[in-house]
Amino acid sequence: MLRVGVSRLLQQGAPKGRAALGTGATRAQSSAPEKIEVFIDDQPVMVAPGTTVLQAAAQAGVEIPRFCYHERLSVAGNCRMCLVEVEKSVKPVAACAMPVMKGWRVKTDSDMTRKAREGVMEFLLINHPLDCPICDQGGECDLQDQSMSFGSDRSRFLDNKRAVEDKNIGPLVKTIMTRCIHCTRCVRFASEVAGVEDLGTTGRGTDMQIGTYVEKMLMSELSGNVIDLCPVGALTSKPYAFTARPWEVRRTDSVDVMDAVGSNIVVNHRTGEVLRILPKTHEASDINEEWLSDKSRFACDGLKRQRLVYPMVKDSSGELRACEWEDALLVAARALTGAQGSVAAVVGGLVDAEALVALKDLVNKLGGEATCTEEIFPEDGSGTDFRSSYLLNTTIAGVEEADLVLLVGTNPRFEAPLFNARLRKAWVHNELDVAIVGPNVDLTYDTEHLGEDPAIIEQLLAGTHPFSQRLKAAKRPMVVVGSALLARPDGGLLNARLQQLAHQLRAGCEGGGAWRVLNVLHRVASQVAALDLGYAPGVSKVRNAPPKVLYLLGSDEGAITREDLPADCLVIYQGHHGDRGAEIADVVLPGAAYTEKTATYVNTEGRAQQTQAALVPPGMAREDWKIIRALSEIVGVKLPYDNLAEVRDRLAELSPNLTRYGDVEEANYFAQASALAQKAFF
Amino acid sequence: MLTRLARALTSSSVRGGMRGLHRTAVPASDALFVHRDSPENNPDTPFQFTAENMKRAEAIMSIYPDGHKKAAVLPLLDLAQRQVGNWLPIQAMHAVASLLDMPRMRVYEVATFYTMYMRTPVGKYHIQVCTTTPCWLRGSDDVMRVIKDKLGLAPGQTTKDGAFTLSEVECLGACEDLAESDTAEILASLAAGKTPKAGPRNGRFAAEPLGGLTSLTTPPPGPGFGVRECLSVCVCVCVCVCALG
Amino acid sequence: MQGQITGHKRKKKQPAISCYYKMATRVVRSGVRQVKPLLSVDSGEARQRVLNLYKAWYRQLPYIVMDYDLPKSKEDCRVKLREEFMKHRHVQDIRVIDMLVIKGQMELKETVEVWKQKHGIMSYWRDTVEPKPKGFLNKFLDGHE
Repeated sequence: MLRVGVSRLLQQGAPKGRAALGTGATRAQSSAPEKIEVFIDDQPVMVAPGTTVLQAAAQAGVEIPRFCYHERLSVAGNCRMCLVEVEKSVKPVAACAMPVMKGWRVKTDSDMTRKAREGVMEFLLINHPLDCPICDQGGECDLQDQSMSFGSDRSRFLDNKRAVEDKNIGPLVKTIMTRCIHCTRCVRFASEVAGVEDLGTTGRGTDMQIGTYVEKMLMSELSGNVIDLCPVGALTSKPYAFTARPWEVRRTDSVDVMDAVGSNIVVNHRTGEVLRILPKTHEASDINEEWLSDKSRFACDGLKRQRLVYPMVKDSSGELRACEWEDALLVAARALTGAQGSVAAVVGGLVDAEALVALKDLVNKLGGEATCTEEIFPEDGSGTDFRSSYLLNTTIAGVEEADLVLLVGTNPRFEAPLFNARLRKAWVHNELDVAIVGPNVDLTYDTEHLGEDPAIIEQLLAGTHPFSQRLKAAKRPMVVVGSALLARPDGGLLNARLQQLAHQLRAGCEGGGAWRVLNVLHRVASQVAALDLGYAPGVSKVRNAPPKVLYLLGSDEGAITREDLPADCLVIYQGHHGDRGAEIADVVLPGAAYTEKTATYVNTEGRAQQTQAALVPPGMAREDWKIIRALSEIVGVKLPYDNLAEVRDRLAELSPNLTRYGDVEEANYFAQASALAQKAFF
Repeated sequence: MLTRLARALTSSSVRGGMRGLHRTAVPASDALFVHRDSPENNPDTPFQFTAENMKRAEAIMSIYPDGHKKAAVLPLLDLAQRQVGNWLPIQAMHAVASLLDMPRMRVYEVATFYTMYMRTPVGKYHIQVCTTTPCWLRGSDDVMRVIKDKLGLAPGQTTKDGAFTLSEVECLGACEDLAESDTAEILASLAAGKTPKAGPRNGRFAAEPLGGLTSLTTPPPGPGFGVRECLSVCVCVCVCVCALG
Repeated sequence: MQGQITGHKRKKKQPAISCYYKMATRVVRSGVRQVKPLLSVDSGEARQRVLNLYKAWYRQLPYIVMDYDLPKSKEDCRVKLREEFMKHRHVQDIRVIDMLVIKGQMELKETVEVWKQKHGIMSYWRDTVEPKPKGFLNKFLDGHE
């Protein structure tokens, strides 16, 4: 897919986001075209010129049936389902592709419209198999629904139906190509949003097929979205095949924790089992639009495998044995009491804010100071003192307003696929330019690779690099710092340099300081909340002063190993799967996964969101903060909260943004951070 | 008997909701619209534009303005097909794709859309029989049968010696008015290595009526015909356009 | 509460009358108001009714054990009978006592007429409801948190 050129931009008018900013307003004002009046079913609506009939109808609250049209994809106009009558037009017009003219009277429920829809539906059903009873789309199928609403009750087609061979496009998407109605949504999604041009239409006429021509996997981190996009059962989920009908499942709105983006999701579950995870559009579509990365979508099968379901304590032979909660908590409590303050905690990437605050309170009450996260963030300069130093300040939606992005030491395609999808969107529609410092990775759009040498950052700061001119000229630049860079031994220095660079660039930005240049792209869901609560990033504290009792809260990355600890150190592991952390543990406390607790997560933008408990934790597992709360009582340093509301009060006490769900708290201490960085290094 | 019954049923008033007994085969193409690796056509088959063709390719690409280079995909595929002989291996499509810097899938789409890109090897002589309705009414079935019998081929197949490939196509705009005997003669002369005479075999020159013109027999009137004197000058241009259709 | 305004209660309220002059008249008026008795007019009569009920039950116990084929002896039943009566020994309100006596008679009738079933009788010996755990830790260990 070529980038949409300037010409199209001009045609469409300025992008919506730009009008929101101060300086953009004048531009929007001068170019704001006069609205025109059209009539949808005799109901007058004022719309901007260039609005399609379908959009105008949507504004009037009339939904026109469609298959190929999708608001986040380009208009194809090939399914013809959206045909409507326009007064004084001889033929019905395709609503999705036809811009309205002044004074048009659109009739969405006239005889002509109804007949046109019925005819289109009859044609679509000519080659569509009648296999709804064995089709996974049954119950959530646009074709099924619309043929009920708009189709005829009989067909005049007497010949044989066409059959198309199924394609093998990988382990996630199942294809039953005979069902395909050639709406090309998947093709458009792959080429426009995902940026992999592997899907296409081959052949023509009755021989036309959707496929990859050569047998090939759909190599995209967003491939699962074609399942949602497909209006029929041609593309369905392979892992979910023949599992459940949509009316059988219960749906719980929640938040994804597989990356730091915090995509909004709907957990589909039945009889205590998560069946599938679907994306949910964030109200302001600020986060994931309506896409979901494959990792988030398909990771749910892991929620019922290899779970920790009962507490375990190491016996005399050194093996973990299942036991009652009482026993496990008593062993843990005895160790904690005996440690006399030599207690430390390390938290992993999937931990919620409630558990974080409970654990921090417990460790602090016991006299321990070292509460760390596995994920590293340099502490030189201002470290994590200012929120703006570790957030994606521009916000994910803000990418669409940027004109130049400098990615430093990050591969957003894998670390935050939906952030990358935004970058691609902006690259396609807004002429965004992207440059990379670090490994030259394929991000599905054109990037300028400046090199891998950290010296480049120095040069950019000094203005001696050829790219500096472009950075300076940019009106809304973004510097995105990846966690790979921050984890380097010289991460602190580089981070400080980048902070300064961002501060420098900010001076030349539009909007008088409202535009924020510095962005940190985190990899894990818990990091921002942990930093907000005062956890120390990185485990160096624990390494330098090994504690007598180490509390691992879902930390499975192996940041701390047995070798780092003295032999008599007791390791308590709390978590839901138990990987490397549980292996070295003496006491294992089974916790809840993100689908099993109502908990707070803060995404890389600093936006607090809550997951909702869809299920109860399996076996004897419990919600994480409750385990810590119970333990605290046995140890004798009872934490002062007994229910979720009280824990959240405590959260709000420490950092009020943690309970302002859905909002991004403004963070704006770049000057101070930059000054402190200056002090620390120069 | 059954067909008659079916017809009677379908034409009667009970037609609505009644499933007819009549069936026709779905007219599917003889070509396959997915790629299957074969000994002669697989991703390991080498293909490279010759130096001479590379020059041609560059000349073709230079026709198109910057940013629209991929519009050259049709002529380049044709060039590749000509270079290989008379078909287009998958590696040739890949070569075109990399030359034009476009995704391979987009080239596959083009190559499968147009019927004159042959994606499987074809024989020395590629016999394409039009079976569109007018030709069918004028006996294309007979022509087809003769070819099938003589060569022992079904549409889409190639003779063992690689001499003939038979395809069924839609209107080629080149009506040759063949009878069965003409068809047999053409096949024989091709097999003998001779070039048969091109053009219609029944005395027509092109697509005019066989018995001479029945309309437009007089020379066309000039501009301004039948128009008032005073208007003839301004209308002149319009008439020209109308006359051209 | 209105059912409990009896002579006994009234005595307890007496000091309040002397303390609050204005409210006193109201309390007196409501206190003096005669409450309609259920069966008994004084505690002596109520006591007699309870004793009668107890005796009736006591005499029926052997037959109940036999009719229902209870896996309990007469003595077990007597202990249980006494237990059930002693559960209400704190009740002072005559109307409540009367009501309990009425309930007891109904129960006796149902039992004697074999309108109940065996498990209904046996449930006297089985407390099925465990007390709910109190406090966060107990709830947690019990699996309620």
